[in-house]
Amino acid sequence: MHNFLRYPRLFYTFARNSLIRDMTFRANFLIEILSNIGWMAMNLGFYILVFSYTKSIEGWDQYEFFVFIATTMFINSLVQGLFMPNAQELSELVRTGGLDYALLKPIDTQFMLSLRRINWSSLGNFFVAGILLAYALQHLDQTGFHPVQYFLYPFYILCGVLILYSVMFSLAATSIWLGRNQSLYDFWFYITNFSRYPMEIYGGNALGSSLRTIFTFVIPVLIVINVPARMMAMPMKPEYNYLATFAIVATVVSLVASRWIFKRALESYRSASS
Amino acid sequence: MAFIEIRGLQKSYRVYQKQEGLLASLTGLFHREYRNVHAVQGIDLEVEKGEFVAFLGPNGAGKTTTLKLLSGVISPSAGEARVMGFVPWERTNEYRRRFALVMGQKNQLWWDLPAAESFRLHQQIYAIAPTDFDRTLGELTDLLDVGKLLNQPVRELSLGERMKMELIAALLHSPEVLFLDEPTIGLDVIAQHNIQKFLKHYQEVRRVTILLTSHYMKDVAALCQRVVVIAEGQIMYDGSLAGVVDRFSTHKVLTLQFAGDQIPSDLDQYGELIEAVAPKVKLRVDRTEIPKVLAALLAGHTIEDVSVEDPPLEEVIADLFVQSSEQAGKKSKEVLAVGHSGR
Amino acid sequence: MYARAQTWWTILRICIEERLVYRGDFALGTLMRFLPIITQIFLWTSVYAAAGQGDIRGYTRDDVIAYYLLTMVGRAFSSMPGLASGIARQIRDGEIKKFLIQPIDLLGFLLLARIAHKLVYYGVAIGPFALVFFLCGNYFTNGWPEASVLAAFVASLVMAFLLGLFLEAAIGMIGFWFLEVSSLLFVYMLFNFFFSGHMFPLEFLTGYLPDWLQTVAHYQPLQFLAYFPAAVFLGKIEGPELVEGLCVQAAWVMVFFVVCRVAMRRGFQRYSGYGG
Repeated sequence: MHNFLRYPRLFYTFARNSLIRDMTFRANFLIEILSNIGWMAMNLGFYILVFSYTKSIEGWDQYEFFVFIATTMFINSLVQGLFMPNAQELSELVRTGGLDYALLKPIDTQFMLSLRRINWSSLGNFFVAGILLAYALQHLDQTGFHPVQYFLYPFYILCGVLILYSVMFSLAATSIWLGRNQSLYDFWFYITNFSRYPMEIYGGNALGSSLRTIFTFVIPVLIVINVPARMMAMPMKPEYNYLATFAIVATVVSLVASRWIFKRALESYRSASS
Repeated sequence: MAFIEIRGLQKSYRVYQKQEGLLASLTGLFHREYRNVHAVQGIDLEVEKGEFVAFLGPNGAGKTTTLKLLSGVISPSAGEARVMGFVPWERTNEYRRRFALVMGQKNQLWWDLPAAESFRLHQQIYAIAPTDFDRTLGELTDLLDVGKLLNQPVRELSLGERMKMELIAALLHSPEVLFLDEPTIGLDVIAQHNIQKFLKHYQEVRRVTILLTSHYMKDVAALCQRVVVIAEGQIMYDGSLAGVVDRFSTHKVLTLQFAGDQIPSDLDQYGELIEAVAPKVKLRVDRTEIPKVLAALLAGHTIEDVSVEDPPLEEVIADLFVQSSEQAGKKSKEVLAVGHSGR
Repeated sequence: MYARAQTWWTILRICIEERLVYRGDFALGTLMRFLPIITQIFLWTSVYAAAGQGDIRGYTRDDVIAYYLLTMVGRAFSSMPGLASGIARQIRDGEIKKFLIQPIDLLGFLLLARIAHKLVYYGVAIGPFALVFFLCGNYFTNGWPEASVLAAFVASLVMAFLLGLFLEAAIGMIGFWFLEVSSLLFVYMLFNFFFSGHMFPLEFLTGYLPDWLQTVAHYQPLQFLAYFPAAVFLGKIEGPELVEGLCVQAAWVMVFFVVCRVAMRRGFQRYSGYGG
């Protein structure tokens, strides 16, 4: 059979079904897109406010920081659009027993549980991010940029998305252990909260550098946005290349780890439930 | 080797034992008591290809757990099982393509979408060839008479219609084995009957092997040649439905019609009086006593008509469940003790 | 009267027990709540370092961090996670019927459930809170405020709790009329994010506003959820301004209480009218 194309086709059907569903609640869909954009606008507003009192934050001037924010928006919209509804639903599936049906299907369970719902309205932010990026780049001095940076930017955005997915899915998988996990989203928010700032701000004392180390090497959320954002905002510097290389390693390790955690959690479900 | 073969299958799991009271809840934050539940306690069973077997038993007897074990959703604590040669809990894709599980209390269709969209998704998940898919879907929708409903969002369907759609979803990939867990639960009599008729027809034509659990004796009577009674996670009976009565009913119902309008007042000594509307009387009499009682009654009274019947099946089963749940109540303390020493 | 008190006590106890069952959530949730403070400290340190001036609209860096810590306390009282969406869901599922059938007042029940929620949550969280405030004690450059200010602070916190409760309950009860409340809630959170002042002292923003908007900002209700208690504690609002602020806050509590009551009555009427 066309095994090769099976998963992309399945993904297409998931996406299609989700879109049909979203379109049946059209008004709601529109409100969601608008409020997502509103949310980002508020976030942007906050930094505009901050930059009205200062010229730069740890070497990031306003337009460089806009690139940073645009990168955050790209990555967040992808993660929220593709994976967030599924991760949230996973704990619901455990509670209602709907997980049983997922286990019966002759396809990879993690694939199925990660992608069955797509939240199209979150992808609206993706376009807003594009506009913000274009605007920021216009005001940015790009002398000294290496052409490869423009290609590496989308690549590292993808890496960032995959790392965040791994963290999120691992958290969601813990709900299989706990039976119910309301604070999944909170937990997620607080962890990714660290990633939404330039890593340079974590410095100056022991706490700062240990935070930076932990969230770079243990739970690698700090590189999720920092690596691609720097790729697009500033000329490449050798001292950051090691970090860019590490990001690839971190992506692979995160994915493997999330799969391992998921499998373990599933085992506990299968042997602990009635 | 039999088509489905189960040997010494066991399943226990831990549940959090919630303590009463505020203080206990607080200590529960730090230390938790768990209780071991032995849902299935050593089941042996063989089912041949094309059989339609019903699992009967009170709530919590282990029927659903057994079906979940056989479909590989959960893994057992001990014992083995083979379905078509596969070990279910290895969950190979090959196996998962060849059976289906329908749970009456859970739905797998997309709630907000027309069933047709969910079916198309199933086609891809199970890699069903388009021609097969169209043919099977056509047949099933005709049989269940839901062709017009395919394009309506599932949430707008009635419970009975939704169950039909769930069945179609489960049968699209033409499974060889079908596990049905309470497929008619919550349905009205007509919808129940429709589902029964469909299952009977489908099974006769396709010769699939079906294991069914149900609370409705009518389902069982209409569909299954073979009945397996499960209580406390063990098999108590395995045979024909009629055999259940022979095996478990200890009484027969004696109906007497006396001459005249009088009913003798000393009938209590023969058995339990069920109904007494002159001139008819219904008596529940111990099986072994029937000849003696009949002889005595005929000798002492003028009787115009007499009949001896088995009690209704539902009653026998209900009695059986009451008995076993009483036993289970007694036994649960032992189970608890075993649970603790076992860990 | 005694029987009534007994009923309410039972409800409160059951709610507390229910909260305690899910200890996994509980431990994680409490722990995580303190992480954003750390980022904020680093962020504002960087901002003030780059700004090169000691003071932004009357707030030093230490003030901002102290302010941020205090808004955590305010939000601990005023935030009501899952309240509005829970009410809306109960309306949708028909679960709300039980308040029509059983002799329990919905608002009273919600109040007790939330008190239980808060008691349990902060019964445990007070440890970490105390620790964080102890560690960050240096940011409070003025030390403890006077007793009168402290009393005003506590009063504003209690009212922040009530305001948060009635505000969110009112939003949830919109569910009687519109089935989908989640988007609306999102819009509310959006405004809350900016205008409750939990991201920055509201003075940072109001300085840029035109006069008429400054007046609106001066009286808007969201500021009492986070900004107001914190500003009181830090002595940014004093004297007659403080008294006025407390009065405005009390007025808002009353307004939303009445809105809730009316919405509940109308909603139940509508609900039973349609046969649920």
